Amino acid sequence: MKTKTAVLAGAALLAASSSALAQKASQSAGSRKRKSQDELIEALQKPDATRKDKADALRVLAQVGDGECLKVVAPLLKDEDLADMARYAIEPIPDPAVDDALRAVVAEATGRPLVGAIGSLGVRRDAKAVPALAAKLGDSDAQVAIAAAKSLGCIGNAAAAQALQDALPKATGFAQAAVVEGLFRAAESLAAQKQCQAAAGLYDALAKSSPLDCTKKVAAERAEALRKSS
Amino acid sequence: MTGPVSNAEGRAETGQTRRDCLKTAALAGAAFAVPTIVPASALGRDGTVAPSEKIVMAGIGLGPRGQYVLDWMSPEKDVRFVAIADVQKSRRDEVKAKIDKHNGDQDCKTYADFEEMLATRPDIDAVLIATGDRWHSQAAIRAMRLGKDVYSEKPSSMTVAEGRAVVETAKRYGRVYQTGTQRLSEGPFRQIIELSRQGKLGKIHTVRAHIAPWDSADLSYAWLPEEPLPPKDELNWDAWLGGCPWRPFNSSYTKGGWRGHYDFHTSCIGEWGAHTFAQGQAGIDALDTSAVEYGYVKNVSGDGMVTTFASGVKMILQREGWRGSCGMTFEGTEGSASCADGYEKPDVSSPALAAEGERLLAEYVEKTGKPMNHVRDFFNCVKSRQETVANPEVMHRTMSTVHAANVCMWLRRDVQFDPVREEFVGDAEANRFLTRAQRAPWII
Repeated sequence: MKTKTAVLAGAALLAASSSALAQKASQSAGSRKRKSQDELIEALQKPDATRKDKADALRVLAQVGDGECLKVVAPLLKDEDLADMARYAIEPIPDPAVDDALRAVVAEATGRPLVGAIGSLGVRRDAKAVPALAAKLGDSDAQVAIAAAKSLGCIGNAAAAQALQDALPKATGFAQAAVVEGLFRAAESLAAQKQCQAAAGLYDALAKSSPLDCTKKVAAERAEALRKSS
Repeated sequence: MTGPVSNAEGRAETGQTRRDCLKTAALAGAAFAVPTIVPASALGRDGTVAPSEKIVMAGIGLGPRGQYVLDWMSPEKDVRFVAIADVQKSRRDEVKAKIDKHNGDQDCKTYADFEEMLATRPDIDAVLIATGDRWHSQAAIRAMRLGKDVYSEKPSSMTVAEGRAVVETAKRYGRVYQTGTQRLSEGPFRQIIELSRQGKLGKIHTVRAHIAPWDSADLSYAWLPEEPLPPKDELNWDAWLGGCPWRPFNSSYTKGGWRGHYDFHTSCIGEWGAHTFAQGQAGIDALDTSAVEYGYVKNVSGDGMVTTFASGVKMILQREGWRGSCGMTFEGTEGSASCADGYEKPDVSSPALAAEGERLLAEYVEKTGKPMNHVRDFFNCVKSRQETVANPEVMHRTMSTVHAANVCMWLRRDVQFDPVREEFVGDAEANRFLTRAQRAPWII
């Protein structure tokens, strides 16, 4: 490639200049001071804390936080500016109280905070969220319905699978595509739990009704393989 | 959000594919020969490829690197680019002009929203994704869900979890995917990979992998100073950020200045490690796994880090040691072989290995049918539905080595990674880095 060297040289120059700017920052992934959770919570509560100050504290809480930080972070889950960073902080914390906080948001919030909370409940595979998420499959906000379908798929228990199966013929457009994705995830989850017949049933539904031909073929093959193995 | 997703496989209302429709039209022309004249080129009789047999492509986020790949792909006779999606209008216009010039028409369509493009264009078979790192896997997953094959620039995932999602999506939707580690399809590199794989260097004990000699593994959390937000049609900043944490607009990010920032970049290790780890792991038959041990080094780049595979082979990260970029070296009990960009032939420890490398390359091409042209391999696989040389699993496993090496540097201590469970071993602190919560609504 004749131009490869030139392209790489250009990229290197560009990267070098941007990197120099970035290096001026006092905080970074490698050099940050190991802050305690107490310090981070205190930073979040300062009356004069800027959005950047709070975002920084929430970012580090994602690495060091535990359930203790919820008392300060949970109220931010409905804050239009900080909801995403609040989820960023608590999504990886292995404490059931995080699920409780996210479910409370699903019950009360709208718009992006709601979409985000639904997404995090899926990542965390919170089975207790299934009824609330199933109710969101028909939401008038397409992003809410899409998020609910994908998260139900991640949770992937029998109740979630049933909700998705019921939604498949009713959904349209991108929401329909999300239900297809959810059904795949749920079928894989059920198969991993050795519920092969239930998983095969979901694949049958996809093979029959998926709007994408490529998924019909894959689903039919997976259903057949599961029946042979069980 | 209005796309007929049900048409994403290219089926028209009659249930015919796009190609069926075009063939029917051509055949109708032949049946009613007068006065309809069908150019020979439309039927592919003059050495050209008939339109019905062309792979219809669209670009997503084509900056300088993407346009380089576009220039590489466009001359392929069975390929036609028809659309470009980009959140920046200047880029959309620039790429449209390039595509139109190549095609000799004004037909390339532009889109600000790539999902709208893919959902409303059943004629598009595949996409070239060359956004910044933050969008590579996000766009690939969304495109595959809409039935499109994907060629994605590297580094193709931001976290271990994202890479796994690409693998599973490609399986669910039966999609062909190639990550842009093009040196896996270049003769000199392939020669040393085969010399290593086939035992011609003896038992391999060490692989040396080039990491980018600029930049750092120490990524920044800083926000650049806020600038006035451009009109959404000029640049959709919200979409540019996608699933990454919000920050105020600064034009530098959109001109390559995203590098060096934790939210957008996979560091100097990912910058070239995406290539060189793939090359190294190919040479030790470890493309279905990742390194298991990572030894922290006290510098900002990871230079000298020793990673170890379950087989005992060590892969050492190096900033220097080659005469070109993206270099790699295999060292075995009976010889060594080295290559980097610009090497017409590999550096080998004995003349006999040079001849053997050429023979093994010819044998590799003969046996696998793989061309020494990475984009051609992708197009061949789009047609044959076979696996690409840099398929999703190759991308995910080699990028997992990148991610684990980065986590080692960020935590400033050794880490162990379990490639089967795809998590760090007994290390809750490190496991916090396996995924990142995505900003709504860009949650995959």
